[in-house]
Amino acid sequence: MWRRCLLAGMFAWLAAMAPASAFVAYVSNEKGNTVSVIDSDSWTVTKTIKVGQRPRGIEFSRDGKFVWVAVGDDDTIQVIDTKTQEIVDTLPSGPDPELFTQDAAGKTMYVANENDNTVTVIDLATRARVGDIQVGVEPEGMAVSPDGKILINTSETTNMAHFIDTATRKIVANVLVDSRPRFAAFKRDGSELWVSSEIGGTVSIIDPVKHEVTGKINFEIPGLRSEAIQPVGIGMTRDGKTAFVALGPANRVAVVDGATHKVIKYLLVGQRVWHMDFTPDEKYLLVTNGVSNDVSVIDVAAQKVIKTIQVGELPWGITIAPQ
Amino acid sequence: MITAWRIAIGAAFAVALSNQPARAADPRYPDWPCAQAKVPEISVAAVWAGPPLGDAANQWKDDPKINALVTKVAARRLPLEDAEKEIAGFLSAAAANKATAGKLLFAGLFDTLNAQRASVMNGLERVMRKQREAAEKIRSDTVALQALQDATPPDQAKVDELGNQLVWETRIFEDRRRVVKFVCEVPTTIDQRLFALSRAIQQELD
Repeated sequence: MWRRCLLAGMFAWLAAMAPASAFVAYVSNEKGNTVSVIDSDSWTVTKTIKVGQRPRGIEFSRDGKFVWVAVGDDDTIQVIDTKTQEIVDTLPSGPDPELFTQDAAGKTMYVANENDNTVTVIDLATRARVGDIQVGVEPEGMAVSPDGKILINTSETTNMAHFIDTATRKIVANVLVDSRPRFAAFKRDGSELWVSSEIGGTVSIIDPVKHEVTGKINFEIPGLRSEAIQPVGIGMTRDGKTAFVALGPANRVAVVDGATHKVIKYLLVGQRVWHMDFTPDEKYLLVTNGVSNDVSVIDVAAQKVIKTIQVGELPWGITIAPQ
Repeated sequence: MITAWRIAIGAAFAVALSNQPARAADPRYPDWPCAQAKVPEISVAAVWAGPPLGDAANQWKDDPKINALVTKVAARRLPLEDAEKEIAGFLSAAAANKATAGKLLFAGLFDTLNAQRASVMNGLERVMRKQREAAEKIRSDTVALQALQDATPPDQAKVDELGNQLVWETRIFEDRRRVVKFVCEVPTTIDQRLFALSRAIQQELD
């Protein structure tokens, strides 16, 4: 009897102790030509995978079975099996793929090819190229609307966010933003589209229905020249209440109120902070720091940096396993 | 023999032309030889989000303990991890004076590493100016050599002497170019160290 009680107690204790959040993050290291795998229990790198030349865009498949990484100088996207943590296949992108995005269902992937001004459309089930979309010169940021009907593509040359109908694959609207738009992100409810401008130093808030800029977020950090503030990666919580914007060589992430669009605070992370991803429980946000070669872990609720993890050379993108 | 000089001449020309300072990416810094963008100095705000420095910016020099630690952890031969440990140990020993000690230490590292960085960058620009002079010299010597070779009859002794000189000038030029490429990485290495050490201090102050 005692023993049974003790055992039951042990189980309960073990269950309580078992980390509710053992997440796995994959980081692409642009100069190191590797992908670092981070475990969120120990916040350490558990494996370094050799990949192709110049890995940048990186994302998990919706089912968590694969990680795709765009290796621009090899003109392809490599497929990593997350069980074996080895490269098992490639996807047919165009030349010099930098960034890609998938629709909410995880069926279609859109790849921005830096060199030939096109977006390649790939069917993820068959891993086959099903079409190309001609866009502005040098496609950069990409985002699919939550309903999957609109693909956003930002272009450095036109300084616009191009709205593309995913059914007809035609551009339906163009919205002018500030210089060198880099990244686009929708609020989960589809009410707002945010586009960061690296040289303009702003984030434009766009009404996706009216195709109008309705507001702009500016960043000011005392003691830093404005050209050192270069917004790139954006992360928004699912409820749309809090957003994080990576400010590149300002070495900071801005915490922004999702409703009022006011900057709440700046967090010093690492050098040249670039992209980011949340853990699925949204407790943590991980950001890549290209020059200091590390990843900062931000406690989302406390809005505080709690940890720094050394990864490979020039970390660029990051993706965290869905659960 | 003459063929060899001709090759050398060709090479010298190629080198001199490919190294035209016209490729300086930033018109503000015509002497900057690196592919990396020149950032003349690091601002405090780029590496520090801790408490305002106030008087610490000048006072760190008067504190011998801080001075010694700054010298020790700023040196690149000390592995970064060990330097971070030194900082953590020093600040936790400072107890009640932690905040002040942290500010003084940061101010010292900031001044010291920024100065190191400036001297490396000045050195790079000085070498670049020398390279430009060397390229000019190679160019004019090449023209002179060509004239000597075209003379009838050519003065073989002079041709050999000038040809030899050109080979040496080209070699020195090439060697310097390789070194410059390597040294161009140093300012970034210093940036990284300053940032990492500042972060270590701030973590202790949090």
